[in-house]
Amino acid sequence: MASATESDLISGRTDSTEAVAGIAVGLAALLFALSLATFFDVVSVTGTLVGVPVVPLVGGLLILLGGAIITFGIGSYLGYVETTPSPTAGLVAAVAAAVPWFVAGVSVGSIMLGSGSAGGVVLGLVTGAVAFAATAFPREDLGSTLPIGALSILAGLVLLSGIIGPEWVWDLGWEQQASLTAGFVVPALTLATSLYVGWAAAKAYGGFGARGRHVGAYALVYVNALSIVAVLVILLAFTVFRGIPGLLTGAEIGLGVGPEVGLFGLSVQLPVSLPFVMNGVALLNDYQGVLPAIVGTFWLVIGAVLFAVPLGIGAAIFLTEYAERGRFTQAVEVATNGLWSTPSIVFGLFGFAFLIPRFGNGKSLLSGMLTLGFMLLPLVLITSREAMLSVPDEYRDASAALGVTKWQTIRSVVLPAALPGVVTGVILGVGRIAGETAPILLTMAGGTFVPGSQTVDVIGGFKFTATPPFVANPELLQATSALPYQLFALITAGVGLGDSVANPNDFRWATALILLVVVLSFYAIGIGARYYFRRKLQYE
Amino acid sequence: MSETTHSERTDTDSTIETTAGETIEQVQESWTDYKFQGEAKLTSEGLDVYYGDDHALKDVTIEIPEKSVTALIGPSGCGKSTFLRSLNRMNDRIRSARVDGSVQFDGKEIYQEGIDLVELRKRVGMVFQSPNPFPKSIHENITYGPRKHGDIETGLLARLLGRDDWDEAEELVEQSLRQAALWDEVADRLDDNALGLSGGQQQRLCIARCLSVDPEVILMDEPASALDPIATSKIEDLIHDLAEDYTVVIVTHNMQQAARISDQTAVFLTGGKLVEYDDTDKIFENPESQRVEDYITGKFG
Ligand SMILES: Nc1ncnc2c1ncn2[C@@H]1O[C@H](COP(=O)(O)OP(=O)(O)OP(=O)(O)O)[C@@H](O)[C@H]1O
Ligand SMILES: [Mg+2]
Repeated sequence: MASATESDLISGRTDSTEAVAGIAVGLAALLFALSLATFFDVVSVTGTLVGVPVVPLVGGLLILLGGAIITFGIGSYLGYVETTPSPTAGLVAAVAAAVPWFVAGVSVGSIMLGSGSAGGVVLGLVTGAVAFAATAFPREDLGSTLPIGALSILAGLVLLSGIIGPEWVWDLGWEQQASLTAGFVVPALTLATSLYVGWAAAKAYGGFGARGRHVGAYALVYVNALSIVAVLVILLAFTVFRGIPGLLTGAEIGLGVGPEVGLFGLSVQLPVSLPFVMNGVALLNDYQGVLPAIVGTFWLVIGAVLFAVPLGIGAAIFLTEYAERGRFTQAVEVATNGLWSTPSIVFGLFGFAFLIPRFGNGKSLLSGMLTLGFMLLPLVLITSREAMLSVPDEYRDASAALGVTKWQTIRSVVLPAALPGVVTGVILGVGRIAGETAPILLTMAGGTFVPGSQTVDVIGGFKFTATPPFVANPELLQATSALPYQLFALITAGVGLGDSVANPNDFRWATALILLVVVLSFYAIGIGARYYFRRKLQYE
Repeated sequence: MSETTHSERTDTDSTIETTAGETIEQVQESWTDYKFQGEAKLTSEGLDVYYGDDHALKDVTIEIPEKSVTALIGPSGCGKSTFLRSLNRMNDRIRSARVDGSVQFDGKEIYQEGIDLVELRKRVGMVFQSPNPFPKSIHENITYGPRKHGDIETGLLARLLGRDDWDEAEELVEQSLRQAALWDEVADRLDDNALGLSGGQQQRLCIARCLSVDPEVILMDEPASALDPIATSKIEDLIHDLAEDYTVVIVTHNMQQAARISDQTAVFLTGGKLVEYDDTDKIFENPESQRVEDYITGKFG
């Protein structure tokens, strides 16, 4: 009963009342998903869904939803549904209800009275105040359902009656060509309303009161997390679907169709042919590919990591374990943070002005590696330092008390304990530099379409000489390309594609997809490494 | 060395009244003449420790004989741990700490320029108040010290050079763990992470780890505070056995324990002062100072 006199330990609520609230929650979730799908063009506002035009369908569902939640609230108030409501829904809920009602009032007012008129604002203030009062003053089961249920019905009516139809456009007037279209307004309206009603329904599902608020908050947090994941998945799916056709152009599977790969003197002919990732660009190619850019990106990241990680970790060791904490360490900290925030084009310019004249006086892989290495350095330093600072001093004390030297302690206790943190930093940094375009543009890149001959062979390029500098690697001094730059070049200067690229758009999306795959595989390696190091520190 | 007298001591706080009406000065006169059997292993003279402006240890003079058990007792916060840490210079690692006075180990001043701290701590081992095993396997925790000292080498390089101390390592692990009364509980999971052990097991692991480097002096800060009676009695037996070859200094809050295991007892009271130091029997049966008697009998903390 609404008057919660008996023990709350076991709720006497029946399955059917729970089911009503549960259906409302589910309906709200469905509408939420539907609005997201509409935003991302998966469902079109002009189209139909299960044979019904989308906009009226959504409107009808909203009315249904509002009706359900109001019914539940009144039922609870009259004692037909067993709940444990508080005396009031609270200030937060009241403000939360007042805001959309204010917006609704202003919108209705300005549609009826003309935009910009004071009447709209007045109407908005009135509706907002009423919603506030209707939420704050009655008992919680009414307060948290009536205003929001009514809002949902209002929104539903607007859509169902065709006031906002699929072809609806609202000219904003204050700027040329700026207008609100149904394609944006319908999903936005549905999204907001379904969130509100979902929240109220979740509270009702929990039977109001403290438990209801807990369930409501839980539902909101859950939806929040889910939508973040959804956005990520949609982004990925978007790229993957558009990239696949270009990637598979001319793909073949079968014995002896692939190119020959030499490994340790053995040469094997691959049974798969995927021209997009196995070819460069050449006049005589059947299909063009981006192999040089893939290899370029790969070596670029390896080079930058090899350069930055030892230096960064070394500096972090010095700063945390050896340097006295004071002015100097603070200055270094400020400098590294500043360096990390420095725009990448500035690093690029530095590489262009400083590195290029020193390494062969032309754009080269080596200059690109070093420039990106400089960019990576501050992040590696910051995260390594953070990780080392969080290693408990007890470990250092224990080691010192065993008569172990400081350096041995750092190497055998501090570094292993800090390694997962360090790896996290490197992962983040690699994510940034692998997709960097500007510095590469200035220090390393060749043309828009990279000939297969520009594929670097860093390992094979090493030559040992009897005279200084003893080691030489012309491959490192060659200009090459990297995926982000190639993508940039394709988009900005994509005209004049060779005949063999049938569909330039597919080619671009495939390049984007490959870039994504390369970056994600670096991530995967990093996360694997972190998992490995962390396992060693922990017990199951 | 044990014959040293401390006539140069000056005690400025001689006005502090004890419950019996005697002054601190009088009390200290009585034990500064305390002579024990054998040689002094550790000697502190006029030792003061400050944490910033906080004067945590005041003018402590004491001689700790070798191959015996010395108990340090006193109320919480009176400076027992501080004193213990100043014996192997672990106080150096606390930034705000400052030490005045002298501590001699085997007659050599340890608070002097050029002392090799690594060597000192190798010979004066320590078990901390709160267990602090490394986040490594139990096995690695024990072999850590000897490995770093080069006493045990099992790595690939060592094997290539024809040296493989695998058997020694196994033996050392078992022996240390047995001494610390932990072997039976962990024998079948030596490769598990030490952080997965219970608090009391971790404490015993730390004792085993300390024993593994074979120090001459073992400083123990409440080694049995988290242990059940059975493990406690095993640790007490261990301490008793250790005293045949090692010098043991142990902090404890347990009077019975101090009475059972120690040869001599030093009582610190609030304010960081060493109030009485004598044979354990004497301290517990007939202390000079009324304040010490009150503390021991539980009338005063
Ligand atoms: N690292 C430190 N920094 C500042 N002050 C400290 C530090 N360690 C100890 N002190 C202070 O020195 C005094 C003595 O502390 P100590 O740890 O030696 O006491 P204790 O006798 O070991 O106490 P307990 O029996 O509780 O372990 C205390 O007043 C304490 O506040
Ligand atoms: Mg202590």
